[in-house]
Amino acid sequence: MITLHATDKNHGIRIMSRTAPSGKIDGLMTRLEGVTLWCVPVMALLVFCIVLLRYGFNTGAIAAQESVQYLHATVFMLGAAIALRADQHVRVDIFYRNFSSRQRAWVNTLGHIVFTLPLCTLIGWGSLGYVVDSWSAQEASPEPGGLPLIFVLKTLIPAMAILLGLQATSQVIRGIRILQQQDSV
Amino acid sequence: MEGQLALAMFAMVCLALLVGFPVALTLGGTALGFASLGILLGHFDPDYLTALTARIFGTMGNETLVAVPLFIMMGVILERAKIAEDLLTHMAGLFGARPGGLGVAVVVVGALLAASTGIVGATVITMGVLALPTMLRAGYHPQLATGTICATGTLGQIIPPSIALVLLGDIMSAAYQQAQLRMNIINTQTVSVGDLFIGAMVPGFLLVVFYLAYLLIRAALQPAHAPAAAVGRTEFGAAMTAVLPPVGLIALVLGSILLGAATPTEAAGVGAVGAMALALTRGALTPASLRDISRSTLYTTSMVFLILIGAAVFSLVFRGFGGDLLIESFFEELGGGPHTALLVVMLVMFLLGFILDFIEITFVVVPVVGPILLAMGFDPIWLGVMIAVNLQTSFLTPPFGFALFYLRGVAPDTVSTRDIYAGVLPFVVMQLLLLLVMWWWPNLVLWLPGVLGR
Repeated sequence: MITLHATDKNHGIRIMSRTAPSGKIDGLMTRLEGVTLWCVPVMALLVFCIVLLRYGFNTGAIAAQESVQYLHATVFMLGAAIALRADQHVRVDIFYRNFSSRQRAWVNTLGHIVFTLPLCTLIGWGSLGYVVDSWSAQEASPEPGGLPLIFVLKTLIPAMAILLGLQATSQVIRGIRILQQQDSV
Repeated sequence: MEGQLALAMFAMVCLALLVGFPVALTLGGTALGFASLGILLGHFDPDYLTALTARIFGTMGNETLVAVPLFIMMGVILERAKIAEDLLTHMAGLFGARPGGLGVAVVVVGALLAASTGIVGATVITMGVLALPTMLRAGYHPQLATGTICATGTLGQIIPPSIALVLLGDIMSAAYQQAQLRMNIINTQTVSVGDLFIGAMVPGFLLVVFYLAYLLIRAALQPAHAPAAAVGRTEFGAAMTAVLPPVGLIALVLGSILLGAATPTEAAGVGAVGAMALALTRGALTPASLRDISRSTLYTTSMVFLILIGAAVFSLVFRGFGGDLLIESFFEELGGGPHTALLVVMLVMFLLGFILDFIEITFVVVPVVGPILLAMGFDPIWLGVMIAVNLQTSFLTPPFGFALFYLRGVAPDTVSTRDIYAGVLPFVVMQLLLLLVMWWWPNLVLWLPGVLGR
């Protein structure tokens, strides 16, 4: 029911011929989605086990708790681009819902160029020093028994920016294609 | 100058959003554009933007927010495994044969399911698809049917454990810390998502009672508008086998949070696994369906958190332009004390509710005005519940309320838009009534947290 929220009416864009680079990017996102989505049930089961351990056996497991946090972060950091591929990011669609596929292509192409790509540059560029520092220190969890992988977790930030930027680029290529095609008609 | 830029940015975002580009990216992108402009004009210190990475990493490490994907997953399972649909069918079988009974079933089920979602559109669409045709076929007046469904669909905002309250609770707790720092309070107190859940219990329950009373009164006065439905009567025993497991699960999740036995995140994990178990017993959990459920959860979670990131960029830039100082001085000049300030904030939020969803308002507006209002001495639990009910009312109010658009999208053409608008009005009045009562009598919210020793 929740997926209905973000409009699922963008078939117009999806049935376009697979232009080479954007087809490759979309394919990458689909494969990434196929792997990332399993983080969700694993996370739920892990939380359930942690609850059992805590209330049943009165023990905690820092490593398990941190794993949940890592899975959670992985889901939404990688999911940003995956959900963009599936057109699942919520829009204020008072007008958008009645737009033609051409008008939608305008909105999306310009939107990505003006908003998404600069934003990805900011997030990616801004996080670079932060992540490099963490890698060179091989930063680990401050908690005893925690995971020694904070530097991997932090890498999700530039990864998110790159993936989101890639997917936006794919949609820009597609959008320009739609605008060109209908120009020549 | 800087302050004006902050306000211009806010106005620009509202306009840009109407174009229909994804909200999260519009929020962040517009703010970044204004920041660049500010840097060029020498009115913005780029250092403000360097905090962004730490903000994002803070979100990744936020334990409370782990409850969000887990509650979403629980909601998706209840819907995909047709547990929600069965619940409605059986409730309708139990109550439907009486005048107004079908409406009662819709409200009760909506309130129960409300629990596990928190996104306005989702519940309204589900209830619209499931219940509207049944109600119309049974001869319900279109106005009464659509009003009931819209109102019930938005209950998800305030009935715990809604993800909207999880997000609001998280923001309120940060705002409360800031407010206390501002007041130079050394032994700071905390407010948690669980506290907000408890505070929302009584008002949420009252709303359900209001809705039910309204339906029954209408049914008594105008039996033709809410006739007895010719639904197949369900055996009481059969109904209970369908009703008890999901109701039990929701009660377990909610109860453990209310009693303080579990954190919202733990309860959400148990809820998600419990829902999986329910689906499994119904043969509705296959590798393929689990993949679908997980994919839906992944999409919605990513949507929510990208808004959080976009809003983080927005609020950093807003702060960089001195926007929060501007708002603070606005409140000082406003005079009239805390209640005038609160009234202004509530009105602005109400209007914003016409273009923005709960999540965006929570992330964009509450961090700015929350600390100011709390420093004026308002109770954080009470303020949180007031905001939630206010936004819920906004989503219901014609002509722009979110819920109305969503229902319009799934309602048959025989139902006119005017019917939807007229039908929802009595419910808007009930919402406003509740807001007034809470305002004059804060104990309506604070009584239960007090009893439970929060």
